[in-house]
Amino acid sequence: MKAFALFATTADVGIEAWGRDHRQLLRNAVRGLNALLFGEPPPSRGRTEGRRFRYRGDSWENVLVNLLTEALDQTYSRQRRIAALRIRRAAKCSLDVELRLAPWPCRPRAEVKSATYHGLKIIRRPGGLKYVKIVLDV
Amino acid sequence: MEFRDFKPLSPFRWLLPKEKVRGMTADAEIIASEPILRAAADDASLTQVINVASLPRLVGRSLAMPDIHYGYGFCIGGVAAFREEDGIVLPGGVGYDINCGVRLLSTAIPADQARADLESLGAAILRHIPTGLTKKTNYPLDQKQFQEVVRHGAREIVRHFAGREEDLAFIESGGRLAVDRLEIVSRKAFERGDSQLGSLGSGNHFIEVQEVEEIFDPEAAQIFGLQRGMLTLMIHTGSRGFGHQIATDFIETFRRKNISRLSLPDPQLIYADIHSSEGQNYLQALNAASNFAWANRHLLMEDLIAICERTLRQPRERLGMRLVYDQAHNIAKFETHTVGGREMKLLVHRKGATRAFPAGNPDIPAAYRAVGQPVIIPGSMGTPSFVLRGTPAAMELTFGSSAHGAGRRLSRHQAIKVASQFNVREKLKERQVLVFSFSSQGLKEEIPEAYKEIAEVVDATTGAGISSKVARLRPLVVVKG
Repeated sequence: MKAFALFATTADVGIEAWGRDHRQLLRNAVRGLNALLFGEPPPSRGRTEGRRFRYRGDSWENVLVNLLTEALDQTYSRQRRIAALRIRRAAKCSLDVELRLAPWPCRPRAEVKSATYHGLKIIRRPGGLKYVKIVLDV
Repeated sequence: MEFRDFKPLSPFRWLLPKEKVRGMTADAEIIASEPILRAAADDASLTQVINVASLPRLVGRSLAMPDIHYGYGFCIGGVAAFREEDGIVLPGGVGYDINCGVRLLSTAIPADQARADLESLGAAILRHIPTGLTKKTNYPLDQKQFQEVVRHGAREIVRHFAGREEDLAFIESGGRLAVDRLEIVSRKAFERGDSQLGSLGSGNHFIEVQEVEEIFDPEAAQIFGLQRGMLTLMIHTGSRGFGHQIATDFIETFRRKNISRLSLPDPQLIYADIHSSEGQNYLQALNAASNFAWANRHLLMEDLIAICERTLRQPRERLGMRLVYDQAHNIAKFETHTVGGREMKLLVHRKGATRAFPAGNPDIPAAYRAVGQPVIIPGSMGTPSFVLRGTPAAMELTFGSSAHGAGRRLSRHQAIKVASQFNVREKLKERQVLVFSFSSQGLKEEIPEAYKEIAEVVDATTGAGISSKVARLRPLVVVKG
């Protein structure tokens, strides 16, 4: 199963992500963001630090956008990337996760302004896989 | 949606009546040549114009300027207006880079005399001015100082950092919109922005040194301070992480408050009533971000002037450096317009579109009221930029709006693929354009081939009568973020 792929529209870029369930989908979306920002796979460097992230949304799409927004905040405000997600709970459009944060492996390749809701919809593909395409404003 | 669904009102105005698409509450109008409209049909940006035409309480038409291309929510080049008393506000009608805009300076420096110094000038700009993703700042501020900057915009820079009081008149809105309640801006926004004042950013942001290549309107050019053969300086940047986070925050706030009761053609078009608490808070935060952007461009201008003084070894007075104008192209502002013979106070959203007020308008600098507001349309890297002026037709047709740039034609991935076939710097050098950047990937993404032909966009703009050509500027030095 493909985990993620990057794509480009005329003005922006985006991430396609796949997952057996919402947990895996969210993990793979974060992996996609890391690939966009730092290349794939980024080399592991330095210790990781933990930071709890909890969010309850109106939909899984809303949770996804907010998780990626947190990742971008860590990237640009604290010069950290999400090296791993330890998901404590993901159910009913809510997420409770420990983010394992590592320093930038290199300077980000792009300045992503935000994850957008443009055309955002998590769908179920034949075979039961969940799929999402999320556009990022760069 | 296809090209043939649009009815030509003129060679540069195309109408889609609301009856053509279910859900449209207003007509849609595209200002474009036929080739531009056909290209827009291919990249689905027309669907975005139609989506905006489906919003409630839209005044007049959902509009798109000739640099129309696919965005999210609004297309780039989109303009939409709502009544102040009962209308709506949309962060997606402004964009994430709130008050991204352009500033132009004229000089009395003959390009011929400066040619030997251009390489040094470009290198000095790249060395001194923070570009790309860096925490380096020339202006470390404490929290209180930063708050004052986002409260007072360019005015605060003149008061405490650098610059002249008289320059403020040549910035749209005097470089400041009212901010009374800064507490509604998130801590995250402050954290993202507090080390970025005086920085260029990345992507399509740039500083250019240009030469006035041709004058089309001698009277307006003289009033704007543009002389053939002289250097000009142009800055393109916005509100950086501060504005991006504000836009993100308020899209979330609008969703929390309104998503359950709204039926939206695109979730990125989430909106709130102007007079709702979240609507009023967003407008305050928008003003704060706009003030940051104006302060940012003001500091960059002062830095640029200082660099020119050092590199060209003359004081600014001798260099004749003067602010022509600073305009926003991602913003929503309250403006008075005449609609159906009635004066109305409207909230005009411009996303990738600029204001283009005509002669006589009280909201433009007194010095320009004889000819109209400058409209600065930058080209892509290595291609000319244009200075136009606003016209009465713009007020009549587009709420006083015009195009803002060339508009992308290729995605970043496509551009990188094309650029891999040649050396970008060398190719531009052949065109006598020196390029300076720390990011070779960034240069590839921004090659001229990735953008529409600027002349085509300008021709459609002037063809529709919404702006009138004043001058063409040729790039000599490009510094990219």
